[in-house]
Amino acid sequence: MSTLYVSHGAFAGHLVPQGHPERPERMRAVEQALEAECFQSLVRVAAPLAEASVATLAHPENFVEELEEMRPREGMVMVDGDTIMSAGTWEALLRSLGAVVHATDEVMAGRARNAFCGVRPPGHHAEAVRAMGFCFFNNVVVAARHAQRAHGAERVAIVDFDVHHGNGTQALVWDDPSLFYASTHQMPLFPGTGARSETGCGNVVNAPMRAGDGGAKFREAFDDAILPALRTFSPDLLIISAGFDAHARDPLGGLTLQASDYDWMTRALLDVAHETAGGRVVSVLEGGYDLRGLGDSTAAHVRALMGG
Amino acid sequence: MPEIPEDVASLSFEAALAELEKIVGRLEQGQVPLEESIEIYRRGETLKARCDELLRRAEARVETITVGADGTPTDLRPLDPE
Repeated sequence: MSTLYVSHGAFAGHLVPQGHPERPERMRAVEQALEAECFQSLVRVAAPLAEASVATLAHPENFVEELEEMRPREGMVMVDGDTIMSAGTWEALLRSLGAVVHATDEVMAGRARNAFCGVRPPGHHAEAVRAMGFCFFNNVVVAARHAQRAHGAERVAIVDFDVHHGNGTQALVWDDPSLFYASTHQMPLFPGTGARSETGCGNVVNAPMRAGDGGAKFREAFDDAILPALRTFSPDLLIISAGFDAHARDPLGGLTLQASDYDWMTRALLDVAHETAGGRVVSVLEGGYDLRGLGDSTAAHVRALMGG
Repeated sequence: MPEIPEDVASLSFEAALAELEKIVGRLEQGQVPLEESIEIYRRGETLKARCDELLRRAEARVETITVGADGTPTDLRPLDPE
C-alpha cells in the first residue's frame, strides 16, 4: 500500500505581508523536497474543497461564519497580531479541511497506508473560538473527530512535534477521553501553554524542552513519556501535527533538531501505530520557517512514512 | 552563553532581573505574538547572562575575604564597589 501526499496550489494563495515567516514559499520548499526520485511512488492527490461546515467538528458554527465574513475581496485583514487573511485564505482553509478529511478517509478505509497533508496555513494554535499564531481552523482535531464520526474510530491520538505548543489542540481535546494529545515544544515560548503539569483528563502529555535541546532530549521525551502513554492509550488512528520548526536552522525556535531526527521520530510513531492502529497515520504540516530546514525535514519525515 | 549587547551590559542586577521576570511572565501568559516570541526569549537569555555575570563577580569578591587567626574576617572589600 502507498503513502498519500495531499496538497494544492491554493495553499500558496494564502498571502501574508512582506517579511511574515508563514509565507507561500514554504509550500514550494515542501514540493521541491518531494520532487526527488525517492518520492516517485508517492501518490499525489489534489486537496478537495471541503464544505465550511466541516470546520464545525472543532469550532462553533458562528465562529466559522465570522471568519468567512472577515475574508477580504482584496488586500489583507489582521485577525490577530500574527494571523492575517487575504483574498485567497478562505479557499486555502477549505482545502486544508478537505485535505485532512480526504487523507483520513483513505487511511481509515485502508486504501492508503498513511498520508502526509502539505497544507497551509497551519492549525494547531486555533482554539474553538480563537484564530491565533498563524492558525484559523484546527485541522488535526477536525481529522480526529471525522475519523470518529465517519469511520467509527474510538480513540484517536495526536502527536505534535512543532517547536510551539499546540494550545488549540490541547484545549479542544482537554476533557475528551477518546482523544489523546502529546507534544514536544520549547518552553517558555509562544503560546505559553504546555507545562508538564497540564494533563487534561489524563489524555494530555506535555514534554517541554529548553532552548538548545536537540535529538537526545527528544529521544528521552519519546521513550520515557510520549511513547509509553501512546501505547497505553492504544489509538485506532494516529495523527501527527508535523511542524518542522524545532530544526536547528529555524528562525522562530531555539531547539537543535536535524532532518535525521524527524526520521527516527516518525519511525518511532509508526511503530506504535503498527502495534495499535493497524499502521494508520495521517500527518499534517504545521510550522517550519527556514525553507531549507523545512524541505530537508519534510523529506526525512515523508521518506520514513513511505518506509524508505 | 549569548553575547551581551551594550544596553544590557550596562544594566544593574536589579534592573536586568526585573526585565527578565517581566519577559518570563509575558511568555508564560501567552502575551507575546508568535513572530516576536523567539526574539523576546533571546532578549531574556542575554538578561539572564548579565545577571549570571554580576552574580559570579559578587561570588568572586566574597571568596577574597579571608579569616584571621582570631576568627575575625580580614581583608574585607565591598561586594559591589561600582
